[in-house]
Amino acid sequence: MSSIVSVTGLRKTYAGGFQALKGVDLEIAEGEVLALLGPNGAGKTTLISTICGISTITEGAITVGGHDVVRDFRAARNMIGLVPQELHVEGFESVFSTVRFTRGLFGKRRDDALIEQILRDLALWDKRDERIMALSGGMKRRVMIAKALAHEPRILFLDEPTAGVDVELRQSMWEVMRGLKARGVTIILTTHYIEEAEAMADRVGVINKGELLLVEETGTLMRQMGKKTLTVELGAPLEALPPALARDGIVLGPDGASLIYSYDTAARQTGITDLLADIRGAGLQMVDLHTTQSSLEDIFVGLVKGGRR
Amino acid sequence: MNLAAIRAIYIFEMSRTFRTIWQSLVSPVLSTSLYFVVFGTAIGSRIETVEGVSYGAFIVPGLIMLTVLQQSVANAGFGIYFPKFVGTIYELLSAPVTVLEIVIGYVGAAATKALMIGLIILATSTFFVDIRIAHPVWMLAFLVMTSFSFAMLGFILGIWAKTFEQLNLVPMLLITPLVFLGGSFYSISMLPPVWQTITMFNPVVYLISGFRWSFFGLADVPVAASLAAISVFAGLCLLAIWAIFRTGWRLRT
Ligand SMILES: Nc1ncnc2c1ncn2[C@@H]1O[C@H](COP(=O)(O)OP(=O)(O)O)[C@@H](O)[C@H]1O
Ligand SMILES: [Mg+2]
Repeated sequence: MSSIVSVTGLRKTYAGGFQALKGVDLEIAEGEVLALLGPNGAGKTTLISTICGISTITEGAITVGGHDVVRDFRAARNMIGLVPQELHVEGFESVFSTVRFTRGLFGKRRDDALIEQILRDLALWDKRDERIMALSGGMKRRVMIAKALAHEPRILFLDEPTAGVDVELRQSMWEVMRGLKARGVTIILTTHYIEEAEAMADRVGVINKGELLLVEETGTLMRQMGKKTLTVELGAPLEALPPALARDGIVLGPDGASLIYSYDTAARQTGITDLLADIRGAGLQMVDLHTTQSSLEDIFVGLVKGGRR
Repeated sequence: MNLAAIRAIYIFEMSRTFRTIWQSLVSPVLSTSLYFVVFGTAIGSRIETVEGVSYGAFIVPGLIMLTVLQQSVANAGFGIYFPKFVGTIYELLSAPVTVLEIVIGYVGAAATKALMIGLIILATSTFFVDIRIAHPVWMLAFLVMTSFSFAMLGFILGIWAKTFEQLNLVPMLLITPLVFLGGSFYSISMLPPVWQTITMFNPVVYLISGFRWSFFGLADVPVAASLAAISVFAGLCLLAIWAIFRTGWRLRT
């Protein structure tokens, strides 16, 4: 795996003395979509800010495309587009001119055809001459994405791109991200929405309290960390769990009408066969069986509660 | 050098100026005209000439300087304060631009606007008094140097300021008194000796003196001293700006 972004031993202490990042190591592969998940205040924005040059690095090193982001900031930043978490726009400017401004800022030759394409992709072309302050919140966010794309970056940082936007807009943002990914753009997004990470990300990184708890392929993470639940509906309700069935992970369901057994899909022995045999041995009648896979959300909550794996 | 970035910043700032071109120009022209009416007419009728120059003409360089200083400080201050205020500064901080490029863009635009207003005031003044300019090239040179160095000061103020009040307060509390006490409306030689000495610590004295020399060939301090003063001042501002970006003071968290 060749990394396009490489973060080593990154620590960040803010001026007030608060340590927001406590030694983060992260390798991001070219062309992948990486979702950073973590509760509020975990340090997601801080991590992005140090990579992009908004925040200073207290300790450690970051390279982008092999360029140190401090010593060789020009080469590093040329590759990066950033859409920050907060809506920051120049209200008096027109959509088109603000996007063109960003392209210029990144040292690129004026290319109005390219900007037209970007605005069309983001459904902003009709609004190109409007003042930004006259736009809705969702449109303003798309203007910020258009700005970030104006210099054709190879890496795009999206800090909570779909926070507080409606379902339709979220879908269209996902479309935009898929289009960029198809063109080989590396995307790092932070999100609160698990389904967004599941839908978009090749890999998921989980941050909590300034520590990167894990980075894992989305599918593997689901499989490795995923707990499954087996629910056995009983023919007649039980008063209490028969001693013969007692084992780790089993509880009696509501009204005693079912048995709920949680097991680890990654374990060599799930214990299902034994359990089913014991149920039959205890003379209980099974009416129905079903299993459910825990979502990334459950995994995430488990991780954050449990600390480092 | 990221010339495209300088160009982008400069054009962005100038288009902001031209959006509000009438406010930008009407107010300085109006206040200059008022100064002529009050100082030129009321006081001028008593003083008549200063060192052989009619009082009305004598105050022209000082009036221009007053406005140019205020404008360059205010424009550059607002230019960099505003992105900080609305948050769009993130773009500048994450762009592949050096301090020098940012400064040239913002300070260049602010100085251009101040320069334009200075020239418009000069043009306005010809409606009131006869002006002959002894050293037109030096006149322009002083104007340009002043605009740029004070735009740098304004740029620093804009980075320092945390509120609009702070942004407006310093020019009012610092620049205006320095200009008024810097010999805009009188010759330093008209002051009592003690005040003449104290005045020499006011940097604006050197600006106005040099500028006035370019008009009438007479100066309160040697022209070389004026040039040296501007250069030192500009150098200090540049150094301060470099240090600010280097440390990220009030810009990077
Ligand atoms: N400029 C700052 N000064 C001091 N502390 C900060 C600053 N920015 C963020 N923090 C703190 O750092 C922690 C991480 O913040 P942030 O990176 O914004 O988290 P996230 O984006 O994951 O919600 C929080 O506790 C926050 O209060
Ligand atoms: Mg955040």
